[in-house]
Amino acid sequence: MTSDSRSRFLDSITDVVTGRKISLLDWKTANIRYSVLLALFTVGLLVALAYLLALAIEPGAAILYISLALVISLTQSAIAYWYSDKLSLVASGARPATREENRYLVNVTEAVAIGAGVPTPRIFVIDSPAPNAFATGRNPRHGAIAVTKGLMELLDRQELEGVVAHELSHIRNYDILFTSMLAVTVGAIIVLRDIVLRATRYGGRGRRSTERKGGQGQALIMILLVVLLILAPILATILRLAVSRRREFLADATGAYITRNPEGLARALEKLRDYQGERLEVSEGVRHLFFTNPVRRFNASNLLATHPPLEERIDRLRRM
Amino acid sequence: MATIIILALLVAIALFVISTYNRIVTLENRFGNAWSQIDVQLKRRNDLIPNLVETVKGYAAHEKGVFEAVARSRQAMMNASSVSESAEAANMMTAALGRLFAISEAYPELKANENFRVLQEELSGIENKIAYARQFYNDAVLQYNNAIETVPGVILAGPMGKKEQVFLEIPETERQAPKVSFG
Repeated sequence: MTSDSRSRFLDSITDVVTGRKISLLDWKTANIRYSVLLALFTVGLLVALAYLLALAIEPGAAILYISLALVISLTQSAIAYWYSDKLSLVASGARPATREENRYLVNVTEAVAIGAGVPTPRIFVIDSPAPNAFATGRNPRHGAIAVTKGLMELLDRQELEGVVAHELSHIRNYDILFTSMLAVTVGAIIVLRDIVLRATRYGGRGRRSTERKGGQGQALIMILLVVLLILAPILATILRLAVSRRREFLADATGAYITRNPEGLARALEKLRDYQGERLEVSEGVRHLFFTNPVRRFNASNLLATHPPLEERIDRLRRM
Repeated sequence: MATIIILALLVAIALFVISTYNRIVTLENRFGNAWSQIDVQLKRRNDLIPNLVETVKGYAAHEKGVFEAVARSRQAMMNASSVSESAEAANMMTAALGRLFAISEAYPELKANENFRVLQEELSGIENKIAYARQFYNDAVLQYNNAIETVPGVILAGPMGKKEQVFLEIPETERQAPKVSFG
């Protein structure tokens, strides 16, 4: 108990959203707790939906449906836990950095890791002129950071330190663990919706011809199922985006705390804001991982952006 | 009944002593480890210096004052036997290297030398790591000092022979470490 409350004194930063002091230890613990809850939620949800589906289509085979859902959801969570870092690195075309070739990046990352008190993460380079970076890895011992060539060219040392510190904060605070678990939940819901929507089309046609009785109860289940399955992904997406934006602010604040230099990160964000060149092409699945949103969408509303507007992030850093 | 109360009290005291003791030792190890991080970087820097001096001499042999300052601080570094001596020698070295790199600005051929560029990046990298390690060290010392000067740590600090630790000072010159950028 005492050890927690003491280190809290040093490891606390001001939550830029609420203005309250929050402890990094709490944040980390919350991330781990929510990751476990999410994994359980996904398993529970898939099992429940499998049961409903079985009731609607084939009540006799309920056990089969449930065991299938269990196997699928557990496998998904396990893959997300152990392989999400490798998947994101492969998906973004990152290759390992070497000291000879990327001396500058390696030195900057090692220095920031010393300041953050975490092991040096594995360092990767993405051969793209678009400036961006991302972090992955379920815990600090398995952390990895990927930086584009464009980012290294655009930023000076202090600015690059700011970005690396921001990324290290995501690792140190277990944000990556949480987001990969969230991605599984959202992904599972979407896949399931597609399967069910297809299945109900078949099932609906078949049932009308064979059995007419008991249709009311089943119809109700079907309606519930369809509504749930259409609403769930929308809710999950909004939740993911809101959570991800708050995380960006917190990582900015932690990054500034690690480097003791909010100005470096603020200037980096300014350069990225003013950058007019090529954008990074990445699949939707890994977009939330990046330092700034790789895709610029002019019509995207505030609620549907994975990252808060750069202007707001710069402003909050400058006020520290 | 009385024995149960006494036993409970004894257990409570034992638990309290154990947790406080562990807390102090953990924090002591943390700043010890933080210091060894700094030490590793200081040693690496000292190892790179002969190579750097040789390279610079090839282009600017007459800048004797700087070479002497570097050699002196390197010697001081190797003779240092305590944390404060090492820290002082390290600051001397940082200042001497700052001068050396400032002088090198006047020699375009030196600046174009590949070996020099690599050494310069390595040394500013090390300089940065020292700065971060020192920051981490000071954080760890602050936590340790807080722990042994406040209740409950203060009760055990005396019997354990634990004393307040000194922070490492950050010299002004180092705030403007040479900036080099390799794309």
